Amino acid sequence: MKLLSGVLVLAACATAQMRTVTMPGKSPLVTFRIVFTTGSAADPADKPGLANLTAMMIADGGTKDLTYKQVEDALFPIASSVNAQVDKEMTMFGGATHVDNLGEYYKLLRGRLLTPGWREDDFRRVKDDAINAIKVSLRGNNDEELGKEALYESIYAGTPYGHLNAGTVSALEKITLDDMKAFYKSQYAQSQLIIGIAGGYTPEFLAAMKKDFAALPATAGTRPRISAPSAVEKSRMVIVDKDTRSVAFSLGYPIEVTRGKPDYAALLLVSSYLGQHRMSSGVLYDRMREKRGLNYGDYAYIEYFPRGMFLMEPQPNLARHQQIFQVWIRPVEPPTAKFALRLAMFELDKLHKNGLTQAQFDGAREFLGKFVNVLTRTKRAELGYAIDSMFYGTPPYNEYLKTQLSKLTLAEVNRVIKQYIRTDRMVIAAVTKNGEELKKELASDAPSPMTYNSPKPQEITEEDKLVVKWPLGFKLEDIKVRPVAEVFQ
Amino acid sequence: MIPKLCLLLACSALTCAAQSQKVFPYEYSQEDLPNGLRLITVPTDFANIVATYIVVQTGSRNEVEPGHTGFAHLFEHLMFRGTAKFPPAKYNEALNRIGASSNASTDDDLTMYHTTFSKEDLDAVLAMEADRFQHLKYAEPEFKTESLAVLGEYNKNSASPFSKLNEVLHDTAYDKHTYKHTTMGFLKDIQDMPNQYEYSLKFFDRYYRPEYTTIIVVGDVKAKAVRAMVDKYWGEWKRGNYKPEIPVEPAQDGARKAHVDWPSPTLPIVAIAYKGPAYNDATKETAALDALSSLAFSNTSDLYQKLVVQEQKADSLGANSPGSVDAGMFEIVARVKKAEDMDYVRDRILETVKAFQEKAVDTAKLDIVRKRLRYQLALSMDNSDTIAQILSYYVALRRTPETMNSLYDQFAKLTPQDVQQAAAKWLVEKGRTTVTLTGPGGAK
Repeated sequence: MKLLSGVLVLAACATAQMRTVTMPGKSPLVTFRIVFTTGSAADPADKPGLANLTAMMIADGGTKDLTYKQVEDALFPIASSVNAQVDKEMTMFGGATHVDNLGEYYKLLRGRLLTPGWREDDFRRVKDDAINAIKVSLRGNNDEELGKEALYESIYAGTPYGHLNAGTVSALEKITLDDMKAFYKSQYAQSQLIIGIAGGYTPEFLAAMKKDFAALPATAGTRPRISAPSAVEKSRMVIVDKDTRSVAFSLGYPIEVTRGKPDYAALLLVSSYLGQHRMSSGVLYDRMREKRGLNYGDYAYIEYFPRGMFLMEPQPNLARHQQIFQVWIRPVEPPTAKFALRLAMFELDKLHKNGLTQAQFDGAREFLGKFVNVLTRTKRAELGYAIDSMFYGTPPYNEYLKTQLSKLTLAEVNRVIKQYIRTDRMVIAAVTKNGEELKKELASDAPSPMTYNSPKPQEITEEDKLVVKWPLGFKLEDIKVRPVAEVFQ
Repeated sequence: MIPKLCLLLACSALTCAAQSQKVFPYEYSQEDLPNGLRLITVPTDFANIVATYIVVQTGSRNEVEPGHTGFAHLFEHLMFRGTAKFPPAKYNEALNRIGASSNASTDDDLTMYHTTFSKEDLDAVLAMEADRFQHLKYAEPEFKTESLAVLGEYNKNSASPFSKLNEVLHDTAYDKHTYKHTTMGFLKDIQDMPNQYEYSLKFFDRYYRPEYTTIIVVGDVKAKAVRAMVDKYWGEWKRGNYKPEIPVEPAQDGARKAHVDWPSPTLPIVAIAYKGPAYNDATKETAALDALSSLAFSNTSDLYQKLVVQEQKADSLGANSPGSVDAGMFEIVARVKKAEDMDYVRDRILETVKAFQEKAVDTAKLDIVRKRLRYQLALSMDNSDTIAQILSYYVALRRTPETMNSLYDQFAKLTPQDVQQAAAKWLVEKGRTTVTLTGPGGAK
């Protein structure tokens, strides 16, 4: 295998063992989250997408003993399934079943994970699905996710995070069954395994399960060394050009803050204040949508959050050693695109300069302290968060976050704002029709006057006078236009 | 945690059928206030968390006047515009203090406002919700701004060919009934919304009334305490008197077709829909068509195995059975890998429909579907939020959780002949609408 970043470490050590996160209970349901701490960051350089395709093949294929149809026929009456989620450093297989069917379900789950079928017809179907997920579902049908992933690709270029989890179309076309078998053999090891289980199972069941999974190799073949992306020295933009009604923006830059780091809670509080996902309480939402009707919503993030347009809350088991600060501007009407981008920058700048007031700090802290209970309200989520806590080496998430929040002070949060919130050295991704026109528009200092369909309070009209000429500072050479067919090709 | 269901599921499907036990496993209380507001409280063992789902039996179905489609959905937005007591900033501040997950959604037959939070905040949530349902106040400028956010929502949806396909399917299949338009509404009406402030006041006055509204409270609660809070905050709400005249859809008199040229590369889509019956828990028809969708088009069906798994000509196939207040559609949708295979896929779907009309399925296959439905429900009801969410859709139809039990009783009684008869009665050529969608130059 060629190496992605050029540096791999041997996953080693004789003491490496599978780990477990267990939550026994009286529920008649049993929930599984089986996580391998490997993912697309371990893709060989010439095979981006291999980790994802391998997981799809396992979760959506037959086993050594049963064809795909036989597995699906067996899962259907018990209304259960095996699903997979692949990110840079985690591959998660999840599922749930009723205790009545635990034995039957587990046999199928075990078959898929420990003795995959690797059949040619499953491979053709799964590979087609993976290619269409990029060509059709992402490039064709989801401008918002396309913009976000283009942003990540640009920020992480040249690192093990530097490609879409699903890979590229051209690489997927060349991946073979043997590639997948080799990846499975190298990466699906006990040293990288965390078995998560919750609900009405018995200790004997868990013991038998651990024994089964001990059949996996003890240690992984290779592990990527996760490195920080290059610092963004100067703002840049990538515009994805496609035939679409509106303009979607995502912007951000790398941060060194991840869960478990000292500034995590403070920065989470800041991003929640600025733009709690899918909530009307954030500043960006208020200023861009509520006050000006620019679009459907605007949010901020400090952790990877895919599929945000379909989800109200983040999914666990996307743990990463590298994160970015991100602002998501949902599609705007083309004539207001430049103004919307300027307004987002204006708000970031305002936050950087002014920080939070005591009342804003208190409100955001109180929200997060309670909202964490809502985030972990299902066993599925509780189990997922517990696995992430094991990955990050932190106490259980609820306890961890509440403790960290309770220690915060306004001064500390405002220090974090000064340190991490900025408007320069930003990477921006846009998805639009007529990309060259947008490029010219954004590279010009010309004002972007804004008109509304209703009178606005003086506060807004005064603010707009500053926003319409906010210096974006782009030159033509900072902006690259890419036809959509090239992206992730 | 779900003891009754556990027992229920331990028996075989056939035994269950004979015993006709209730599929909704929780004890609940259902009470009507004198003003017509209904309260359904479901105490569960899931600790600390409470979910409130407030269902207004008003959706795009209620948009009876031309030029005003999308108004039910618009209110999903306007309801966050505040009251005199809780202007938006104060409302958000209060929700923040509560740490709630809060949102709303709209469909053909309902608009639903949901909030999930820690149990100690129930009183505060019910008070705030009561305030906005009774005293929503927004001025024309805010109304105009919010209508632009709706356009923003249309814009973000417009990237998906399935949204467009759905729009064209409904517009083609219906002539009179309000199901002709999707919940988002026609684009021209959305663009005209900023000019419809006065109409919006009328719409609110008509439908945001206790007789249209059901409050569902699920979680770590006691029914008596919930009732006291609801009496306190919602008791003064005045009953209305508006009843919409929903246009009756004439019987379709022949097969219809439409095609969508999608501007950017995508896989072709074939949608075949048949006019079906309205939701009914008193007969077997709703259950029979739902079983049919599973037997004929789910991923273990013969057709799915042929088209998706063996021949790999389609990458997805599925069907939705009708389940709305008025007559909805039985919709079969396949995404095809190559444009030249579209006719082939369409013909296999039609053959499958014919086969189910001509021959009854094996009882064993029907039993498998029954078994799946019950486990599916049990697996989904693993937290208070989802229980409330599932209930809300049934409440939109019949205003009581009991309709779930009645419907599942119909599933238990279903015979292979019932499924065959439903296919023969409803999946007929003269009630069929076919919509296809292709990207530039067909398949890409």
